[in-house]
Amino acid sequence: MSEVPMMDAAGREAEATSKRDWVPINLDLRDTWFPVAYSADIGERAVRRIVHAQDVYLWRDGGRLYAAEFRPDRLEAMRAGASAFTNGSGFYPAVERYGYIWTWYGNPDNAHEELIPNIPFLPPDGQGIPRYTQRAVRFDAASPLSVENLIDLTHADFLHANAIGDSQSENDVVEVHSTSETVTRIRNVTRKSVAPVMRWIGGVRAQYQDLRAVLHVHLRNNVCISYPNFTPGYPIPNVQPFVPVGKHRSRVDQTNYTVHAPAPFRWLMPRISYVIQPQDNSVLRPQNARYFESTERRDLSSRFDGPGNRYRLLMVRLAERQQRGDFGYGADADPSADISAVLGMRG
Amino acid sequence: MGRWWVVALSEAVHGDKALAVTCEGEQLAVFRDGKGAVFALEDRCPHRRVPLSPGPVKAGGLQCPYHGWTFDGATGLCNDIPNLRRDERVPARYAVRAFPAAEANGFIHVWRGAGTPAAVLPGASYRAAGREQTGSAVANIAFEQYLDVMLDGPECLVSFPGVHITDFFLGDPRRDGEHLVLDRGAVWKCKGNGPAFVRDHSLWVRTRVPLRGGDIRVELLSADEEPLVTIFIAASENRRGTTSLVWRGFRHATAAPLSWRWRMARAIGRAPFAIFPHIDGAAVAALEVAPSRDRRLAKTDARTPAERVVPVQERCAV
Ligand code: FES
Ligand SMILES: [Fe+2]
Repeated sequence: MSEVPMMDAAGREAEATSKRDWVPINLDLRDTWFPVAYSADIGERAVRRIVHAQDVYLWRDGGRLYAAEFRPDRLEAMRAGASAFTNGSGFYPAVERYGYIWTWYGNPDNAHEELIPNIPFLPPDGQGIPRYTQRAVRFDAASPLSVENLIDLTHADFLHANAIGDSQSENDVVEVHSTSETVTRIRNVTRKSVAPVMRWIGGVRAQYQDLRAVLHVHLRNNVCISYPNFTPGYPIPNVQPFVPVGKHRSRVDQTNYTVHAPAPFRWLMPRISYVIQPQDNSVLRPQNARYFESTERRDLSSRFDGPGNRYRLLMVRLAERQQRGDFGYGADADPSADISAVLGMRG
Repeated sequence: MGRWWVVALSEAVHGDKALAVTCEGEQLAVFRDGKGAVFALEDRCPHRRVPLSPGPVKAGGLQCPYHGWTFDGATGLCNDIPNLRRDERVPARYAVRAFPAAEANGFIHVWRGAGTPAAVLPGASYRAAGREQTGSAVANIAFEQYLDVMLDGPECLVSFPGVHITDFFLGDPRRDGEHLVLDRGAVWKCKGNGPAFVRDHSLWVRTRVPLRGGDIRVELLSADEEPLVTIFIAASENRRGTTSLVWRGFRHATAAPLSWRWRMARAIGRAPFAIFPHIDGAAVAALEVAPSRDRRLAKTDARTPAERVVPVQERCAV
């Protein structure tokens, strides 16, 4: 056997990336909207959320939504210390869409609503999104490591073997597309054995099913939009926005939009994150600590890391661009453009 | 030049699971193959830096729990990346750091550092002659301090039931090759008027502490220097100023005169010693730095003659 034919195009890209510094813990990308809370979670009592180690207090008063750097009772006293993130006003730009409150992280002058990512399967006004689809989970790692974990398909057979089932299939093809602001991973699996959870509570009686799973990742705000579609079966669209709390932690207010799936799957499926998340955390926690080490020993990769390494490369490029003071969105980037075709949604 | 460190008890490493240990501050995964041979790998996958020790042991070696890369125990070479096609091969330089591992008298050793592993294992000096008591712990004290306290105040680290270890130590530590040996008086508790009034101590506690490495021996001796209890304690630096400890010890069969408590404890099968995992900070802080001074000096002074720890003129200097 000859050596290294494992390095196909994706493998070579992986190699190229891993020669660069990959420091996921220090990525602090600006000028983007973060979905910091479910709209339904915010009432008159102020709630504290954190974005890149920065406080965001959310509350409503007289039907109006407020997102501020300080608690409402201290706002007047503290306002003089307000940062450039609010232009010294103490208030962040905030918009409600898709059942979330989105706050702007960056220069408030650049906060345009068209930069909120399009989520085609959710009602824009957030009306009628059932609460059972919303689950908040926390990850013990910087957001980019969690995103890598989501992009990475090969760990499911090992880390999530009991929850997701075996990977037996006839054919399994992965492609990656990207823009300067997004990575899209498309996976096509034919004749895979039906996941146990779908068989037992999901009403899928067949033994095999096809899967087309699209994951669309927005780089700046780590908003991951997923559209896995099973035939026979149904799609289980979901949103996982990894809000960076700091260099060690991230928070995800998920929406697993199972409303079109049969009961009781519809209600139970969103809870699977409580099984998956601790499994992911068991590797993410030590992993994150080790990305603080000097990067003399770069990560090794296989061709299966193609999508993940593309993500690394694009993140580094974006960070470099921002370091040069360029916070604009490129011509190839339009977060609010309709992505239903990208996701492969029918009808 | 490297050295052997004891990292685990032999019986603690078995089956298809690895044991996570920390030696010289570095995390290692220790495991056995199907034939029982023992291996030690750096506990860090070169793919995405995840600890390997929670993964299963497979025919090819230790398998990472994250994506299933598998590493040979002896060489550290990655010999399997799941889902590769048959014509694909893992690049030869894909490997994790592997450490030579060896076993002696119930201790698993790992060679760390440069050079060819020495022929003699620290654990070889220990030979059980009686029912053993074994254990492992992480002590809340820094490694070098643990060794020093073994000389300055071993009563803060070990105990023998019914025995009062005094802080009257005999002379200065004796140099024995790469170790310092020190005897101190001990008495049976509740016998006579207490340690201050004994004319001669009825027992000795002998500690043998390394200048480098972590193999410690502690012995309880009768007045005639006949061993009553022997303990081998292997210490190594753990993280955040703590110390990994692994020990084996046993009570000797003896004709020496013993206290009624000691005989009672032996009759009911009570452990003949205890190693403290939780160390009393106040007691340690209160210890004067005394014989351990010689250890620190001997460590730094290469010219020291083997039989004397420190030349007199140097001791007077400063
Ligand atoms: S991190 Fe070990 S196989 Fe991927
Ligand atoms: Fe995962």
